[in-house]
Amino acid sequence: MQRKIWLALASSLSVGAVAFAGSANADVGIADIMGDQSTTEDIVSYGLGPRAQRYSPLATIDKSNIKNLFPVWSFSFGGEKQRGQESQPLIKDGVMYVTGSYSRMWAIDIATGEELWQYDARLPEGILPCCDVVNRGAAILGDKVFFGTLDAKIVALDKDTGKVVWRKTIGDYEAGYSYTAAPLIVPTEKHGPLILTGNSGGEFGVIGEVQARNPETGEMVWSRPTIEGNMGTLMGAESTMTGTKNESWPGDMWKNGGGATWLGGTYDPDTKLAYFGTGNPAPWNSYLRAGDNKWTSARIAIDPEDGEIKWGYQTTPHDGWDYDGVNEFIPFDMEKDGKMVKAGASADRNGFFYILDRTNGEFISASPFVQNITWAKGIDENGKPIFDPDNRPGNPAESADGKKGKSVFAIPSFLGGKNWMPMAYSQSTKHFYIPSNEWGMDIWNEPVTYKKGAAYLGSGFTIKPIFDDYIGSLKAIDPATGDIKWEYKNKAPLWGGVLTTAGGLVFTGTPEGYLKAFDDETGEELWKFQTGTGIVSSPITWEQDGEQYVAIVTGWGGAVPLWGGEVAKVVSYLNQGGSVWVFKVPEQLAAR
Amino acid sequence: MCGLLGKSANGTANAMLATKRTISLRQRFVTRVSVVKNSVPVVCLFLCLIFPALSHASRDIPADPFESVMWKLMVERHFPGGEVVFDSRVKVSAPKSAENQFHVPITVDATELSDVEEIVAVADLNPIAHILTVRPKKSLSFVGFRVKLQQATPIHVGVRTSDGVWHMGGAYIDAAGGGCTAPAMAHGMNNWMKTLGKTRASTRRESPLSARMTIRMRHPMDTGLAAGIPAFFMNQITVQDAAGETVAELDLYEPVSENPTITIKPKVGQVEETLSVLARDTEGNEFGFPLTVPAVAAQ
Repeated sequence: MQRKIWLALASSLSVGAVAFAGSANADVGIADIMGDQSTTEDIVSYGLGPRAQRYSPLATIDKSNIKNLFPVWSFSFGGEKQRGQESQPLIKDGVMYVTGSYSRMWAIDIATGEELWQYDARLPEGILPCCDVVNRGAAILGDKVFFGTLDAKIVALDKDTGKVVWRKTIGDYEAGYSYTAAPLIVPTEKHGPLILTGNSGGEFGVIGEVQARNPETGEMVWSRPTIEGNMGTLMGAESTMTGTKNESWPGDMWKNGGGATWLGGTYDPDTKLAYFGTGNPAPWNSYLRAGDNKWTSARIAIDPEDGEIKWGYQTTPHDGWDYDGVNEFIPFDMEKDGKMVKAGASADRNGFFYILDRTNGEFISASPFVQNITWAKGIDENGKPIFDPDNRPGNPAESADGKKGKSVFAIPSFLGGKNWMPMAYSQSTKHFYIPSNEWGMDIWNEPVTYKKGAAYLGSGFTIKPIFDDYIGSLKAIDPATGDIKWEYKNKAPLWGGVLTTAGGLVFTGTPEGYLKAFDDETGEELWKFQTGTGIVSSPITWEQDGEQYVAIVTGWGGAVPLWGGEVAKVVSYLNQGGSVWVFKVPEQLAAR
Repeated sequence: MCGLLGKSANGTANAMLATKRTISLRQRFVTRVSVVKNSVPVVCLFLCLIFPALSHASRDIPADPFESVMWKLMVERHFPGGEVVFDSRVKVSAPKSAENQFHVPITVDATELSDVEEIVAVADLNPIAHILTVRPKKSLSFVGFRVKLQQATPIHVGVRTSDGVWHMGGAYIDAAGGGCTAPAMAHGMNNWMKTLGKTRASTRRESPLSARMTIRMRHPMDTGLAAGIPAFFMNQITVQDAAGETVAELDLYEPVSENPTITIKPKVGQVEETLSVLARDTEGNEFGFPLTVPAVAAQ
């Protein structure tokens, strides 16, 4: 009892501290978000800038002094909810805003590592997250922080107190909708800043959608479904249909067609377009949905003013392998053949690294970034995959009993050449750093019909490594040529994001628990630190009081232990954690 | 403090009471406190010149008739600012012993006091003490509610009048343990979220000028202290009249019982009147409904 009283007293004191800090803290403006990449003292967007290049111009920590990087503090997410921490923290005015699994968020005083507030979403029974209880991060604007919850809601919290300002529904969690990505804040001329969200649930036959809301009130401004035949909305009324009904879908299959926008999006201030990846078509059994199945396994460019799709590009039309191509599309300017191209890059689940013209979606190039790809013989000059019909899992209707089609071994596995974990683009080396995995799968099809809230796959599968000694592979790739410049091999599959800096460093975490730093030109491992549990999140770096900090969220989990098949053996010994680690070079070593 | 005294009416009242207290300090209940406003400058001058040190001293806090070990902390945290006096006009009705520690009925009647701005109720020995705060605007200084108790505890109710004085009342309730750390009954049902905010309410006329309104809204009122269940509770109720004027505002906290049951007494005219109730929980869910007070019956 006494202990509880003191705890209560302590918490009331810290609330006082927040109120004080709050009065000194400036609000975040849309210009701060758009300029986030160049302002090193804060991180107010997912990906260190709207283009999500995950590149920091900071060079205080470099190849020569990285050996002196030591932890400052570690903060526990506590309780029994430790698993599955995929979050990237935000930094503003000496406060870290970090989300955790099971739809939680904390504000932490960076100077001391002490909690300022915690928010725990009250989740209903019966939520249906397909691929663990993760959250990937928050957005910040004005005096609010925003994040999505596993029951498919978006919540706005007062950034100084953690109290709910508004909370809105993205989708029906009982039908399989959930939300795990970081929201994206974009400027518009007509509506002011908008907060954009995607959705998750492609395994339950949901309809992928992007929704745009007023960040002040949470009121919906527009919505744009990804599956053709479905209607968008604008200012509360129906706007336009996505595509043309039944152009690339048979019958009513478009009504539960998937295409979930579960990884969020990026924004390019240059083209004023928001880029979203769209997930796998539903069901997985491709014989039930003849056609290209637009816009599944695609990148779409949306005009934030009205939610209209400006262009779309399918990486895996008529997907039959769960090549769930939501992968982030990173705008960057590429010098090719002496010309500067307004390009965008995406490393797809299907194993190919795509360069598109970000102004119009035209195909520029595609090159494999994982080995031994089997599902396609290549990508043709128009950007279409050259399918290998022998390596598409067979039609169950053609089997003797109609219950199971021919099984094939396909590479990459459905968890992808690259999954959710974001790559980084260095403005110093002009290279992309891709966290990838070398694995394949046995996959076969089964009959399936849609039922609300039930898995809608029509497939069976098991994942297998393709090399004895490693699965994870961090690669440096030159986007102009598609050449792989260096590779770091990791025994367990890589499941965390990448960060690169002007200091010539590439950071990423491993399931074995190490945060590692590599030389951006050679791939030489320069530094590592054991955090005590698997890392499946994205590192950040920023400057505070003249010192460069690095932070990483730790906590093993995500889709690999749930879906990994044979691979699960490689990772079954990994222990759960659940914390944030913050590093810097101690003052007494900084000069050396 | 002295600077403040010159500026605010509340402050002046406090100063007056500070002098009065030296006489009544040993009394457990002050039955009547009079405030003489026109002597303010003299008092201020007196205090400022003679007792500059006192101007920063904490308030003298009267002894607690319930002998609560938490009393001073409760006053510091929940009854800040003005003078604190025990006052028999703050009537707190509660059972001597709780039949059910999850639902302990408490009624606060401070209708004999005028110029009431705020009613604050705390359960001293609950892990979360603050039960609720009521700001009666166009309603009588009356509130009924049910509370969860973690163990036998004193209840303190402070009624702040516009002069800043906290008029205190209270009760001591014996109770079995565990009211705040057990999961809500709702969690035995897997569809409890569907009925969130479902309301039963009744109003009846008590007098030509007032009504009695009781509402019961479905809500688990999770304290965050039951294992694995985060805090989730109804935290704001606002009652408005037909013209949109506030009748009463209530801030609820974790100790309020599951399916909060609240009684207030709106001041109304003699004709039929429709009030509106707006409630909000800590997750931003909002619930609203109208409630009609019947006209005075024809004689």
